[in-house]
Amino acid sequence: MSAAVPQTDPASHAELVTLSIDGVEVRVPKGTLLVEAAKTIHTDIPVYCYHEKLGPAGLCRICLVEIDGMPKLQIACNTVVADGMKVHTRNPRVDDGRRAILEFFLLNHPLDCPICDKGGECDLQDYAMAWGSGSSRMIDPKTSKPKAVDLGPTIVLDEERCIVCQRCVRFDQIITREESLRTEDRAVQTIIATATGKPYVSDFTGNVTELCPVGALTSKTYRFRSRPWDNHRTTTSCTQCSVGCRMHVDERGNTVLRTMSVPEDDALSDSWLCDRGRYNVGFVNDERRLTMPLLKQDGAWVQIDWADALDLWAEKIKAALAAGGPERIGAIGGGRLLNEEALLAAHLHRALGVENLDHRIGTQTLVHHGSFANHVDLENANTIITLGRPPSQLAPVLDLRIRKAVSRNGARLISAGDYAADSFVPETHVTTPAGLKDAIGANPGRVAMIWDGVFFEGGPELTAAMHDLPAATRVDRYVLPETPNGRGAEALGMIPRGAGLGTGAMFAAARDGKLDVLSILGANPVLRYPDRALAEDGLRATPFVVVTDLFLTETAEFANLVLPVCSAFEKSGTTTDLAGDVLPVVGSVRPPDGVLADGDLLVELAERLGVTLPMPDELEAKVRELVKTPPADGAVPAYVRATAAAPGGALRVIADAAIFTGGGTLAFDTAIRELHARPHARINPATARALALADGDPVNVAGDNGTTLYDLVVRVDERVAEGAVALLDGVVRAPLNALGRAPAVRLEKVPVTA
Amino acid sequence: MRKNLFNVGALVRGMSTTFSYMFKKKPTVEYPSVKKQHAPRFHGLHELRRYADGKERCIGCELCAIACPANAITVIGAENSPEDRRSPGERFAARYEIDELRCIFCGLCEEACPTDAIVLTPRFEMADYRRGAFVYAKDRLLVPPEAGVGTPPDERPNGIPADLGGVFRAKDTVDIAEGYDATHRGHILKTQRRGLTLRQAKGDDGRPGEIE
Ligand code: SF4
Ligand code: SF4
Ligand code: SF4
Ligand code: SF4
Ligand code: FES
Repeated sequence: MSAAVPQTDPASHAELVTLSIDGVEVRVPKGTLLVEAAKTIHTDIPVYCYHEKLGPAGLCRICLVEIDGMPKLQIACNTVVADGMKVHTRNPRVDDGRRAILEFFLLNHPLDCPICDKGGECDLQDYAMAWGSGSSRMIDPKTSKPKAVDLGPTIVLDEERCIVCQRCVRFDQIITREESLRTEDRAVQTIIATATGKPYVSDFTGNVTELCPVGALTSKTYRFRSRPWDNHRTTTSCTQCSVGCRMHVDERGNTVLRTMSVPEDDALSDSWLCDRGRYNVGFVNDERRLTMPLLKQDGAWVQIDWADALDLWAEKIKAALAAGGPERIGAIGGGRLLNEEALLAAHLHRALGVENLDHRIGTQTLVHHGSFANHVDLENANTIITLGRPPSQLAPVLDLRIRKAVSRNGARLISAGDYAADSFVPETHVTTPAGLKDAIGANPGRVAMIWDGVFFEGGPELTAAMHDLPAATRVDRYVLPETPNGRGAEALGMIPRGAGLGTGAMFAAARDGKLDVLSILGANPVLRYPDRALAEDGLRATPFVVVTDLFLTETAEFANLVLPVCSAFEKSGTTTDLAGDVLPVVGSVRPPDGVLADGDLLVELAERLGVTLPMPDELEAKVRELVKTPPADGAVPAYVRATAAAPGGALRVIADAAIFTGGGTLAFDTAIRELHARPHARINPATARALALADGDPVNVAGDNGTTLYDLVVRVDERVAEGAVALLDGVVRAPLNALGRAPAVRLEKVPVTA
Repeated sequence: MRKNLFNVGALVRGMSTTFSYMFKKKPTVEYPSVKKQHAPRFHGLHELRRYADGKERCIGCELCAIACPANAITVIGAENSPEDRRSPGERFAARYEIDELRCIFCGLCEEACPTDAIVLTPRFEMADYRRGAFVYAKDRLLVPPEAGVGTPPDERPNGIPADLGGVFRAKDTVDIAEGYDATHRGHILKTQRRGLTLRQAKGDDGRPGEIE
């Protein structure tokens, strides 16, 4: 071999080995599996049980290849390359082997392809076309197994179609670590079942339908609705949370049918999607979508023309400017808009001198304080500290990285404060600064801190302890914005500067009659602002409130003018993820007739107000520049909130988060009603004993402001501190913010009537 | 000029051919009072079959739709509910439409169908003044429940229909000698016509409804 040929892989510095596959010389790092080596020369070896992200299992044996010098055919998925190996992936002997394996698979397979959702994109169909014999030699009746088994709220299982590759089982073991699926029984009777016998519940269930190489696992929301050849595919970024997973959107007849993960997306989603991103698409075609501007006249909604609506909006702004100046105008929102729209909103208002701008509803801090560390960096951290609500509920796919870092890369997970990280991996939960210091230890290695942006109980001491690290420590900070594009909205100017007011201050000013026009752009503060009464009072006292939304949400009910707008599936632009990267959003369906995007509205409004906005071709560069600018002050916020000790007998409230909460896209998606989070009250076992409550009991929660939330379910959980109760935030039926800020509550058991 | 006169013979010969036909049997048929026998494999208007127990054969698989070279077929599947089972198995066609104006009557849909649900009958009279009337939906394609043939698959082990793949046998039920009237749907139409009941129903909106 000539000296010019490198002996090590430049990326991993692993030693290289040379082998030949079908006569082609291949050089790959030592330790590479044969299937992966074959991919480098675009030779596809068929696989069922092997998956890049799950590793080999050696169960299905479809990947047979011939290796010179080995007496029998070998499985390519679990054979490591060796120097000088000569591999044949297609020859009569290999084909014979695969034919025999396929015959076994098809012995009891129902062959109901015509009614199978996987038909058209099924590996069994494809390989049967390549190696199947066309007819079966079996004369006995096939084994019958249950079909259409309801596995849980999202998944249906067809036991007959399962080829027991165990990808689903291994996904739940290796990736989510939840271990909820397993195989039962043996040989031809083997079936997939949940480990507990209870429904298959997880926040990542949809992934198993994609992993399943056959049509055994299907999604309830997609069952029988289409065929792969009917669907038009667009690739976009998920806009349900700030992770921004890349995803495919399959559309048919202007209806969004399903979303699929993008296997190549190693940087963000690691090829997974959470169930919120995957299943919360039904709202796009919901019949309750608004299609005409609505004006409130004498307490009733009247449909008006777009031109009139925009004229009215512009007029009110002009009048406010003339009467009291820009301080009497405010705008809230932007975190659910595209970057470009957020930029236009901020630009438009600043051009008028308006400084009362804020994208933050439930949090008070600057998401900008996150560093630009990406998701792969998180995977390589040695110590991960979570502060605040668990990332699994705020940025679910990011949490899979935490699980990966801990379970496979040996990182330590520490959760500090009121919340446990709930990541299905070992974690240390600390509440005191000393405990945190102990947990971090002397040699934390690379540290990643994940914070949900809400000031948490525990005082500055905990924060100080967290930042008291050896000097050379690399610290990556991840601040999870409350909205999908919170980081973008903030970087692009939707935050108050100078004397400008934030969301809470705007509501207070409005209540005192100091605001004339309040524009709420794609936000729902009535459900999400921590003090619902203040938000409602503020909105009621403002003479003119404009709300842009898809639906008549809780906030829109308080508006004078509601403008219907496009969903993220109906417009194109960019969004910013929590790591500060600009991601493309590509529209896949047409909006309903008469519906405009927020950006279009802002352009129209600007024209009426005589403001010049940046041109579309300048927007992208501007967005990229602003998003990548680190915050001017550079300081790390103090993560502090004053702790109000609850008076005797009452419980302190901790705000819980769950994936399936919210008032807009979720509340108006009837297809996944079963997934909507049931409001709960999580309490410590000691608290439960003291109150004589048991897990599953229905309770009412009475706040100290006279508001009661009805019919919550008790969950006993030792991770909640004694004397506290964790209540779900953002549930339409039992809104936590109705209890007011920092409330103290009492739990009342609902009497069960016979 | 003179020479041309000799051609009278040719003229006579020609005309004699013409006149000879005056005494032969006429090939023209008095359509529509008389109807001609079709070729055995004539492809006409489609119909959607049922099983003998009245269940729809169509399982909404869309194989006909993808086989169709003219893109004439639209199928949207849905899941059977235990209370209202339309077809054997889990899936049925919630919507099934053929645009007969696009159709080239090639019969590929019939060949693609795994359950012999879609069959081309020899019926060809589809003329209408309205374009929309050529989009045939299930209400006009599906045969009446009493016209089903064959055993539905879910009464058999593993759900494999007895006559799966027997497209030709299914077509045998079309009596060629009787022409288009012999198909199940045609039979119904014939009975209706005999009593002059071919009526144009009025839809709720006052526009002409489907012809029954
Ligand atoms: S899993 Fe594949 S082979 Fe089996 S019925 Fe479905 S499409 Fe056909
Ligand atoms: S259900 Fe699908 S993924 Fe799971 S073992 Fe069976 S074939 Fe494999
Ligand atoms: S006969 Fe041919 S063109 Fe007509 S619907 Fe069937 S497949 Fe399409
Ligand atoms: S007619 Fe046949 S091929 Fe077409 S959808 Fe129905 S069952 Fe499938
Ligand atoms: S892919 Fe190799 S044994 Fe299954």
